[in-house]
Order: sequence, then structure tokens, then C-alpha cells
Amino acid sequence: MILQHIADGLLSGAIVALGAIGLSFTMKILRFANFSHSELLTWGAYFAVIFFAVAAVIGGGYGTPIAPFSFGWPLLAALLVTAALTSLLAIALHHLVFARLNRMAGHMTMVFASFGVALLLRHLLVLIFGPAPLYYSSALQFAMLLPGGVRVMPDQVFLLGLTVVVVIALHLFLTRSRTGISMRAVAENPDLARVSGVDVGRIVMWVWIIGASCAAVAGVMYGLTVQLRPELGFSLLLPLFAAAILGGAGSLYGAVIGGLAVGLSENLSVMIIPTTYKPAVPFLMILLVLYFRPEGLFGERR
Amino acid sequence: MIRRVRAAAAGLAAIAATFAMAGAASAVECPVKLGAVLPVSGPMGQVGERIAQTGQFAVELFNEAGGVKGCPVEYVLRDTQGQPTVGVDAAKSLVELEGVPALVGAISSGVSLPILTSVAVPSKVVQISCCSSSETFTQLAKEGKTDGLWFRTYATNRSQSAMAALLATKAGFKKTAVIYVNTDFGVGLANRFKEDVVKLGGGLGEVVAYNESQQSYRAEVTKALQGNPDSLFLIAFPVDGATITREWLALGGTDNLIVNNSLRSDDYFDAVGRQYLKNLIGYDSAQPRLPSVATFNELFEKRFDSPPNGPGLHSVFDAVTVTLLAMEQADELTGPAIRDAIRAVTKEGGTEVHPGPDGIRRAKELIAAGKPIRYVGATGALSFDENGDVQAPKMVWKLIDGKNTEVEYYSTEDIARLIAKLDN
Repeated sequence: MILQHIADGLLSGAIVALGAIGLSFTMKILRFANFSHSELLTWGAYFAVIFFAVAAVIGGGYGTPIAPFSFGWPLLAALLVTAALTSLLAIALHHLVFARLNRMAGHMTMVFASFGVALLLRHLLVLIFGPAPLYYSSALQFAMLLPGGVRVMPDQVFLLGLTVVVVIALHLFLTRSRTGISMRAVAENPDLARVSGVDVGRIVMWVWIIGASCAAVAGVMYGLTVQLRPELGFSLLLPLFAAAILGGAGSLYGAVIGGLAVGLSENLSVMIIPTTYKPAVPFLMILLVLYFRPEGLFGERR
Repeated sequence: MIRRVRAAAAGLAAIAATFAMAGAASAVECPVKLGAVLPVSGPMGQVGERIAQTGQFAVELFNEAGGVKGCPVEYVLRDTQGQPTVGVDAAKSLVELEGVPALVGAISSGVSLPILTSVAVPSKVVQISCCSSSETFTQLAKEGKTDGLWFRTYATNRSQSAMAALLATKAGFKKTAVIYVNTDFGVGLANRFKEDVVKLGGGLGEVVAYNESQQSYRAEVTKALQGNPDSLFLIAFPVDGATITREWLALGGTDNLIVNNSLRSDDYFDAVGRQYLKNLIGYDSAQPRLPSVATFNELFEKRFDSPPNGPGLHSVFDAVTVTLLAMEQADELTGPAIRDAIRAVTKEGGTEVHPGPDGIRRAKELIAAGKPIRYVGATGALSFDENGDVQAPKMVWKLIDGKNTEVEYYSTEDIARLIAKLDN
């Protein structure tokens, strides 16, 4: 059974990892804890609902599943479209709320503003789509039996693979491209970056685009493997923060390893403690990290 | 104009009638008040609203037969919003400001309990619930902490675990896993089931609790799958229940599912997909096959243009009617007098009386003549045990061709026998 818990932990950790990348970047580069980040996952997932509805009208719809997955090519298109839409949403929020406040507001004001934005975003979804859970497809995907008696769903394995691809792409982007290097410069010292000729405003846009796109992919994949609810992102808020804090703000690999660690510890914890205490595990992780290594595993001591 | 005159005339007639009746029974103040504390808003709002309306309907029928002790009955409804604190405040204001001698409510055990302990018992007011099924009340009554003021017209959890255990063992399952909601209701039911299923010769797999409103229950499901159980008893509510069922089936769990009555809902069937629920089996409370039940169903349908399909409608009707009959029977309108009168009007051996204005009129004549009556109502013959609990018949349902269909019926006596067998 331990193998099954490890598999479940890695697979659910992949979602947390993708979500935590954006959170970690905004924490480091924009310098505030964005409590509305989890809502970007939810919006991404619901944007895909609209995409499939429109696709159904145009023709094609959900498409024919490509074995062994439960989805077809339209899902990949949906991932791209929702990533773009969610990025637009994030940029709009930045201009309407965060950029305006950031000039004069303190750290706590930003945190509370992001709380407010989170509430607004979540309840807008309740208003539009209703509180009842939705499914992209009502068909149920059955798990594959792997050697060792481990059962995994093909969709989740796809997600884990996708996470690896995204992380490699982001790694290349941050180390090889000019924009990526500028981004790291802004993270280090925005003032120095600005006098060195870096367009900080453009970099901030890129942070939102990367964060929101990863969140949208995580949201759609979560919606695909479980279900869509307006509380989808909210229920992941604590795991996301635990992962970002554990990994260290601004660290790509930190966020990914943090996410996997959160997933693993949540799933393995049920072998020792009653399942009802499982939601407390990310809390415990945040406490331990803040106590022993406040800068996170991959963060730099300031 | 004519209509207005007619309305005025009718109003005058009503006032005159009220005066005439007041003259006949000078001992009580008119109108007689009955308090109701029910959640008409909040998460239980939809269910609560229907229950509250049915309570009002029972009062209307009673008033049609002349009210209590010659006085019209006023049904004073207060909202609990499904919250214990709001419920207690509402009950307090009913007792202290409105002076009601009896309270109908609440729905959730978690709300009824604080009302009972901090309002009804200290103020010596009768409390009768249509829907609270927790066994905590039975325990309190046994310890003498309710002063006998607590009644309910809805069967307790006791019969639910017995039914689930019966279903598991009758199907020949050898190892039943349990996933249950981590609330008073779920914990109580799961603990009972653990004992019951073994007593009936079944076996137990992993017993796993879950917290409500989480996105995914993979860890819980994986844990419950340990040891390859051949069946699952799921104690849940529709939304989370659907998530758990989907993950359970996807991860290779058996489709031999036994579910509690809350999952007898189209929301649940549709969310999971009916094609996966062919071997699902569930239980629910049922109405006995009696003429009094049919009478209620007819009266209800005439008034609301729809059959009384919904949780708590039959039981709240009886809760209100039996309380009003007891008020009629009682010498004075105080909690303890009504408490004793509830026993009197449900005693075996009395002349049977049925719901509806005619039945109530007959009951009042018998009471006036000093003859014992026994109320047989929308849930059948109410026979409160020493703890204020009732037993109810149960039914078993399945999805046949995707349609929720009753497949078996267990009478009150069958259930009592089953529980007696389990408790010895």
C-alpha cells in the first residue's frame, strides 16, 4: 500500500507544483503573498468549460479520446486557450488592483487586497456557473494496474509528464532567454535592474503570464481528474502556500519539489494519522519550514 | 366592491367565532401559540422551507377543526439558519417573549441539541423534532437529562446502521469497507455499523472518515481500498459522496455499494453516472401502508398540488398534530402537562384517530367525553418509547434501468425485531 500512497502523492503533488510556481514567482518578484492565486486555477478550469461548450457548438466538442487518456486533441487546445485567457485575467487584476495599490500600500494591504480579489473571483464563478460540481465529461476513467499493485489514472500520469515538460521549458527560459535573465535580475534587485535598462513593467507582465498559465494548466487537469467546483482553487490554497514556502520564494525547482513534497506528505500521512487530520499536514509543514529554515529549501538567506 | 364587503363580512364572522370560542374556554388565552424553530435559510434552506410549510399546513387543518381548547392556533416560526447559536436565540425568544409551551424543531441534531439543553429543559417546554436522528438524544434521555420533554417523530440512527448491516450480510458480503462523513451523524452511524455488521455475520474492512467539502478524496479512498474489500458502505451527502464514489470506482474499488438515505438523490446519481451504479443498494425510511398515511398524502396533494415527496414532511406533520392534540388533552398549557398528554394521546388501546379536520374533530369529541385516543398519522401509529424515540418502517431501493426503485419493505415490527436481535 505504501507504493500506492507514493504514487497518489506524486500525482496530486504535480498539481500543487504547477500552482506553486506562479505563487512562488509573485512572492519573490512582486513581493507580496497573493492569496488570489489559487482562484486562477479555478478560473482556468472554468474557462475550459466555456471552451468545450463553444467547441461543441462549432463541432468537435470534447473530441474522441486518445487511448489510454480520457481526452482528445481538443483538450490540448483548451489548455492553450485557457492559459491565454487566465493570463489576461491575471494581467487585468494586476492593472486594476495590485499595480495601483503597490505604489503606496504596505505589505499587509496587498495581502488583504488579494483576499478580497479571491473572494470576488470565487463568488463570480458561483454566480455564473452555480455551486453544483461540473464535469468536462461524465465518463469515468478507470485506473491502470501497474506492477506492484499500484493503480494510477492515465490522465494523472499525463499531468506529471506535462509538469516535467513545463519545468524544463521554464528552466530554459529563465537561464537562456534575455527576458528570463532579466526576470531573475528584477527578482534580485528591481532598482538595480531598472537602472541597468531592464523594462520592469514588461517583466512583471511575464511573471503574471507564467504564473497564470501554469495555474490554468493545473486547474484544467485537476478538473479533469476530479471535478470542477467553485472552491477548487480555494481548497488548494494551503497546499500551494506550503509548497511555495517550503521550496523558497522565487525558486522554480523549489516550488516543484515543494509541491511534490506536500502531495507525498499528505498522502503518506494517512498511514499514520487518522484521515480527518490530513488537511492539517500542509499547515504543519509551513510551521516546520518557518521554524527551521525560514528561507525555504532553495531560497537565499537575506 | 362586493368582494371587499364579502371579505369584511368573513373577517367579522371569524372575529365573532373567535369570541364565541373564547367564551366557551375561558381557561386559556387566545390564540394558542405553537413555536417552530426551523432552518428556512442557509444550507438546509430548501428542505427547511418545505418542512416549515408542512408544519403550517398541519396547524391550518387543526384550526379548521376548531383549534385548541376553542382557540385558534398561531404557528410562530423562527429561522435557525441551520446554526446552533441562531437556533438557541430563536427558541429563547419564542419561549420568553412569545410564551410558547411547546417547540417544534429543529432539523439538524447539532441545532436541536443546544436548544434542548439550554432552552427547552431549563424552561420546562416540550420540544419535538421532525428530523434529528442522532443517538445523543437517546443517551441524554436515559440519563434523565431531558425530563421527558424531548420527543421526535423520526427514527434514530440506530435503525440506519442495522439496515446497512442487514443489506451487507444479506448480499453475502464478507468484507465491507466504510467511508463516513466526519460529523456527529456520520461518526455515530459508522461506530454502530462496525458492531452491527459483525453481529450479523459480516466482516469489516477499513473504516475511514472524511472531512466535508474537499476537492479530492484519493488518500481516503486508497486507505479504504486496503485489504481488497468486496463492498463499501458510504455514509455521505450527495456532492462529496459523488467525488468519493468516482474516485473509489476509478481506483479499482468494487461497485458493490451500500449508501445511506441522503444519497438517494438525482444529483448524486447524475454526478457519478447511473451506468456505474448498477449494483448500488440503499435504504431509506418509509411510510407504513396505512389508511391514515394515504389520508395525509391526499390532503397534502390537494393543498400543495404535489405529492409529499421530500425529507421530513410526514414527520413534521405528525410532530405538529400530536403536539396540538396533546394541548387539547392537557389540563393546562404548560410544558410538563403537554409532555404527559403526548403520552396519553399516543397510548395503545385508545380509539384511533386520523389526520385531517374530520379526524381532529372526532378526536376532540372523544377527548371532551373523557375517552382515551390514539393518534395514527402521516407516519403511522406514533409510539414513543421511554426516551421519546419512535421506530419507523424502512425500505430498500436500487437503481433499476437508471430509475430509483423501491425493492423491499420492512415494517416497524421487522425493524424492531432486527434491532432487538442486534442489541442482545
